[in-house]
Amino acid sequence: MIRIENAHKRYRWRKVLDGVTFSAEKGQITCLVGMNGAGKSTLLKAIMGLTPLSKGTIRIDGVGSKRELYEKISFIPDHAAMPGGFRLEEGLRFMADYYKSWNESRAQELMTFFRLNPRDRLGNLSKGTAAKYALVLGLAADTEFVLMDEPFSGIDVFSREMIGDVFSSRLIEDRGVLVTTHEIDEVEHLLDRAVLLKDGKVARDIDCEQVRDEQGKSVLDVMREVYRA
Amino acid sequence: MDKHGGWMETAFNTRDPVYLQVVRLFKERIVTGRLAAGEAIPSRREIAALLKMNPNTAQRAYKEMEEQGLIVTEGNSPSRITRDEDVLRSIRSELLGEAVRTFVGSIRNMQVPFPEIVALVKEEYEADANSRDQQPGGDGA
Repeated sequence: MIRIENAHKRYRWRKVLDGVTFSAEKGQITCLVGMNGAGKSTLLKAIMGLTPLSKGTIRIDGVGSKRELYEKISFIPDHAAMPGGFRLEEGLRFMADYYKSWNESRAQELMTFFRLNPRDRLGNLSKGTAAKYALVLGLAADTEFVLMDEPFSGIDVFSREMIGDVFSSRLIEDRGVLVTTHEIDEVEHLLDRAVLLKDGKVARDIDCEQVRDEQGKSVLDVMREVYRA
Repeated sequence: MDKHGGWMETAFNTRDPVYLQVVRLFKERIVTGRLAAGEAIPSRREIAALLKMNPNTAQRAYKEMEEQGLIVTEGNSPSRITRDEDVLRSIRSELLGEAVRTFVGSIRNMQVPFPEIVALVKEEYEADANSRDQQPGGDGA
């Protein structure tokens, strides 16, 4: 379980996180929802230890941030994290060298699934293809948790569908997934939980099926209540 | 029907619990004969991929169907549609009852005399049956 407690983050004068507390469980897909600038990406980066919190704690299965964490969690950023001159196969080799948890056969399976050409250079990929490649890099390792930052943002409809398919496949099964998005319709059916951030705080933390069951509301309905109120 | 047994045509609405929509989908398939009594159904993992949904939701839908006696799972073999005639009959009357209630609800305020409704239903029913007979390969599925 990823547990975030009382997270505060300030960029100069602007309070981005003002006491955020929530959990993302293993075997579940949790979505961090929020408008642009709500601190979604900041939270993911903080979990990975890429940015310090001003205050608060983050624990993964009860343990604070340390180096071994990178074998346990993979982070799929919304931008290419490798040099544009790299061929896709070189990127895979880099990951294989760096991570003990790297699973080469899974990497090849993902390359085939997304129909990626290993000889292509990263710098020449379209946005949709780059997003698919980022997913290959993030999902090929045998990690227990996967963080995804805006996997659907600015991508064509068929690429979005393909990426959506990943969520219902065994590539995700049994892992804990924390995904950020502001395009909820893409993932509405796929989520176990949604955590809605507003004004630096958790406005709602919902079990999506329960809200449909008990209140007849979609995640989008709940978002309207929170963000248009 | 696509090569995956038509499962991939399914579109969920966002306001009803997904697991109940899946249960409903199975009931419709049983009543329309697309799933036969005793027929093996996809595994939880397969149905999650086919319907593009969360595997936890698939798990929950199958659990609900087991509790309702819709499907039976023995040991490690795939789950199957029940052969229990009582259950199958009750699904049929449940869906039929719902459809009729919806129909009655939608014409309630039009104040149509009952005999006229019956005549209209009969006319529509026969026209529909005729058009399906004329369609080459149209089996309604």
